[in-house]
Amino acid sequence: MGDSQYSFSLTTFSPSGKLVQIEHALTAVGSGQTSLGIKAANGVVIATEKKLPSILVDETSVQKIQTLTPNIGVVYSGMGPDSRVLVRKSRKQAEQYYRLYKEPIPVTQLVRETATVMQEFTQSGGVRPFGVSLLVAGFDDKGPQLYQVDPSGSYFSWKASAMGKNVSNAKTFLEKRYTDDMELDDAVHTAILTLKEGFEGQISSKNIEIGVIGSNKIFKVLTPSEIEDYLQEVE
Amino acid sequence: MSKIAESVPPKGGFSFDLCKRNEMLVQKGLKQPSFLKTGTTIVGLVFKDGVILGADTRATEGPIVADKNCEKIHYMAPNIYCCGAGTAADTEAVTGIITLILSHVVLIAITSALCYCFWYACNLFYLFNVAMLSLDMVSSQLKLHRFHTGRDSRVVTALTLLKSHLFSYQGHVSAALVLGGVDVTGPHLHTIYPHGSTDTLPFATMGSGSLAAMAVFESKYREGLSRDEGVTLVAEAICSGIFNDLGSGSNVDIWEKEYLRNYMLPNPRTYVSEKGYSFSKKTAEVLLTKITPLRELVEVIEGGDAMEE
Repeated sequence: MGDSQYSFSLTTFSPSGKLVQIEHALTAVGSGQTSLGIKAANGVVIATEKKLPSILVDETSVQKIQTLTPNIGVVYSGMGPDSRVLVRKSRKQAEQYYRLYKEPIPVTQLVRETATVMQEFTQSGGVRPFGVSLLVAGFDDKGPQLYQVDPSGSYFSWKASAMGKNVSNAKTFLEKRYTDDMELDDAVHTAILTLKEGFEGQISSKNIEIGVIGSNKIFKVLTPSEIEDYLQEVE
Repeated sequence: MSKIAESVPPKGGFSFDLCKRNEMLVQKGLKQPSFLKTGTTIVGLVFKDGVILGADTRATEGPIVADKNCEKIHYMAPNIYCCGAGTAADTEAVTGIITLILSHVVLIAITSALCYCFWYACNLFYLFNVAMLSLDMVSSQLKLHRFHTGRDSRVVTALTLLKSHLFSYQGHVSAALVLGGVDVTGPHLHTIYPHGSTDTLPFATMGSGSLAAMAVFESKYREGLSRDEGVTLVAEAICSGIFNDLGSGSNVDIWEKEYLRNYMLPNPRTYVSEKGYSFSKKTAEVLLTKITPLRELVEVIEGGDAMEE
């Protein structure tokens, strides 16, 4: 990375003032599997489709929703390997923050640092932007928070958001269904219904993944049996 | 175009660039500051299905007890804890001495005694930082490892990280540790010496009170102890260190799956003067009274723009 022969950036401005590589990265995100997040009054839920390329793939080995710190979780849409790099860097940054300030990293700080990394890759030599958008869900002293980080490095705080293939339908659905005083359980149900909207095939506990963080401030990825319970309630 | 500032880990170890200059200064007659050895009794014991760690709570700076109740059992992972002797044991001592100094500055003018204490603290602060940072760093590394692998940490992992770190400092970080914990492979107890060598033992003692504590272990230890028998034996060994070694004292801390801070307090403060320790206002003659009202220097403006994102 950043070899002397590649000291020029591959992300350059077009005459219209756009960074074409970032636009392409966003397209890559847009063709990735749908994921969404909803901020409830007492927690946050993030969910994603887990469509595997073949029935032969061992689905227990795949985990798209990752924990960054005990109280912050993340899900992505786009290229899986790119998200792995970001997850690794974010975890390390969270740990370094804790070592320096002896305080668990606030969600905004971690999002900012992750976004900085993503921006660096749009302005450095010999590298390409990340082909993922991240949804970061966390619960700290400021309450439940949900952030979206884009390949350009910009980040936004959302009450509810979606990314990936079915983004426009999902966002419309969420706009209609979202209320400010939603409880966490309602949010999980809404998340499942939103995923169901654009789901190709039969939704089951094996092809979606859900992560929640409640007022206990511990991020947890739901087990297939827990997802099954929620699916039963929704039907 | 600039290259990415890759987060390169610092090279580690000490820089020995000034050694030649120091040697030259010693030859010219400069007295080098000596490092203080601190007293401690720390022990560890493996019983039927776990590990018990014990430590005393006295932190000394030469003949002075700097902290009567410091914590020598440090957190590595939820299932792994580490006792530190040597400079690692001075954590609380240094923070204690700094607050002691500050309170003196407020009450009394700077005296030569203060300068002496400050000099002590400066030396120790440096060593303390390095020793405690190494424990902190290993605990951080273990945490990251747990995230990446999704598994609980193993004692041998902590052991390897600590010994590599201490070895790279070539013995200059004088941390002698007793590392113990329970993981999927069972209970483990190790001792780690400042140069990076390690031992794996069923029972271990370190520090200036180690001989006193080892005497108790050697006569009373047997395999297959129950949890209560083990805790009693560890407390007895620490007490032996507390009463027979000048460098150790005060209370007994124990760790067995959970941290039992001040498990035993065999040295309570028994005499408190009836007269009390405060002086009436007429004791000192007031020569001059000058009252300066405090002004608020900070203006808080409500509103304002949020930071641009």
